[in-house]
Amino acid sequence: MPDNVIEVEGLVKYFGGRCVLDGIDLMVPRGCIYGLLGRNGSGKTTMIRILLGLEPATRGRTALLGQDSTALSAQTHGRIGYVAEGHNLIQNYRVQRLINLCKALSLQWDGEFFGRLIETFRLPMDRKVKEMSAGMRAQLNLALALAIEPELLILDDPTLGLDTVARRQFLELAIDLIQKQNRTILFSSHILSDVERIADRVGILMAGKIVVDCELDDLKDRVRKLRVIFPKELPGDLYLTEIINRQDRGREMVLTVANWNARKQTILDTFGPETCTELPMSLEDIFIECTRPVSASVVPESEV
Amino acid sequence: MLTLIKRELYDQITYLVLASLLSLLVIGIMIYAVMLDIPDASFALGAFTLQGLLVVFCFLGAAQMYSDRANRISPLLATLAATRSRILAARVVAGAIVVLLALIPVAVVAIVLVHLLAPPLAFHARMIVEISTTVTLLGFASYCVGLYMGWTSNKILLVAGCLVLLMLIMPLFVVKGFGGEAIVILLLLIGAMLLRTWTNYTSAAL
Repeated sequence: MPDNVIEVEGLVKYFGGRCVLDGIDLMVPRGCIYGLLGRNGSGKTTMIRILLGLEPATRGRTALLGQDSTALSAQTHGRIGYVAEGHNLIQNYRVQRLINLCKALSLQWDGEFFGRLIETFRLPMDRKVKEMSAGMRAQLNLALALAIEPELLILDDPTLGLDTVARRQFLELAIDLIQKQNRTILFSSHILSDVERIADRVGILMAGKIVVDCELDDLKDRVRKLRVIFPKELPGDLYLTEIINRQDRGREMVLTVANWNARKQTILDTFGPETCTELPMSLEDIFIECTRPVSASVVPESEV
Repeated sequence: MLTLIKRELYDQITYLVLASLLSLLVIGIMIYAVMLDIPDASFALGAFTLQGLLVVFCFLGAAQMYSDRANRISPLLATLAATRSRILAARVVAGAIVVLLALIPVAVVAIVLVHLLAPPLAFHARMIVEISTTVTLLGFASYCVGLYMGWTSNKILLVAGCLVLLMLIMPLFVVKGFGGEAIVILLLLIGAMLLRTWTNYTSAAL
């Protein structure tokens, strides 16, 4: 069995002369819950679609479960659960018929678990898919993806369109799934608190590049937001590298710095700040700082 | 694979029923012509109905591909335990089943009528085989035209393309007759259209 369930090497994708993905490299090991973040149009869905072989890449190589994305076999597809953004369900089918089709085209089917999900979500079996609300379609798509007991689950903004209760139910299900051994999840979402709750590794896509790819705890540890107050006026240049964001207000400076370490602390201390307070940062705060239009990218420690 | 074929047949049940009805109509015309001994009028009517059958085959192929795009069928199927090649193969098999279900009864009735009424000459047997093969291939070629033209979201292009290509294929037996040459041309045409459809379908973004 391959160690990396998802492999992306030098992935480039152009849409009509516009570069959407610009040399992406990404490895997701088995058992990892990977949160893929990025603003609208940053290329998350495109990357996922290329991984699943739904979209051809312009350049580069992608593989899932050790098999090239362009030549995924039916057996490999059967080990992957996918919840698409907008939900790829056959619109003119009745729910029951769609379920029967997915069941017949699956390698394994956990009927008991699926029944439980359908009961929880209260999905109408006799209604056509196109007559269902976006939330119901999301729930059906999720239930279908989970019922096949996937080795790899790819969720492209799965909670989009779900109400708060359904979103909570989904997260609990996802956590339930995570607890089963050897499941790998690639999870793209706009709701960062969801990602923060379940992901153990995150990647941030910005302008077609992965600007962050590390453990969630590591990311929180490496990105620091500091409120520094100087006794007189602010220094012109701090000689600090990897400043993601800097806001000046009188004698006060709010700095967001990547890869914070003792060396950077020493450099800051040489300017003799009156106080230096660390401000707590959630994943959402880090994401906003990292994806500001003009910002320094967070590079791995090894590259500093 | 069987699930995919069943799904295709179930989704296109209207075309299956329509093709069967037209097939019954052709059979009825053939029997009627023999009973009342009016071959000219019934030949014209039979040929007209047969052309209608070819149009149905063409629109069956078109409907399979067009509804796939419109209802986003392949994006779902391609993420289940199925590959694009398998999805397309199931589609073609389902199309071939409809063509055969509609044309085999016609061929069988024709053979029976010839046996009943014509003298038992080897010439007749060969003629029936050649006509049946050519008509069946013509039916399948019409289906392939629809399959090839159907992978579009432009309805006007779809209908116009189907009709133009059908108008080119249908008179083939008038020019080449039923037999060797027509069969070779139809086989090449079917091969080319299937290959092109396969290339388009497997390389497209779903």
